[in-house]
Amino acid sequence: MKICQVERPLVSTNRIPGFEHKHLLVVRDGSSRQVAVDSVGCIPGDWVICVGSSAAREAAGSKEFPSDLTIVGIIDRWPPESETGAIGPGEHG
Amino acid sequence: MEVRQVVGSLVCTQRIPGLAHVDLRLVQDPQGHQAVATDPVGARPGDWVFLVSGSAARYAMGNADILTDLTVGGVIDQWEPA
Repeated sequence: MKICQVERPLVSTNRIPGFEHKHLLVVRDGSSRQVAVDSVGCIPGDWVICVGSSAAREAAGSKEFPSDLTIVGIIDRWPPESETGAIGPGEHG
Repeated sequence: MEVRQVVGSLVCTQRIPGLAHVDLRLVQDPQGHQAVATDPVGARPGDWVFLVSGSAARYAMGNADILTDLTVGGVIDQWEPA
């Protein structure tokens, strides 16, 4: 899975019906920009985890959902300040 | 899903039955890499589109029997290449 940053929503009026009414977001991974299906409700600037291949379809709704990149989680804190130990709310809680 | 620009249509009379009569589009990314995608939405040359790749591409066609691995998911209303 990849870590990407949400850039902005993607507006595509003329699109296949398979996406139903799911939000599409432009996400940036380093310098390359891609489009991901949003199933968690992100806002621009969020650091998120994106999944690909067949898992992307199921994460977006069903086995037949036409997605090859879906956002599955919003990272609480990224990039991590401390270099040691696990990264997560527990450590900074 | 990748974002590319439609260059034009591809005419391919001699094809396998698995491609049926679907429209084929030549698409290109800013770096010049080209690919062929099946097009269920009717994108025109010059349109920026996002593409569904892999096995999801067959579901994007609405009919999983189409043997494609890259399908146009939709035409982007506004896109400025990086």
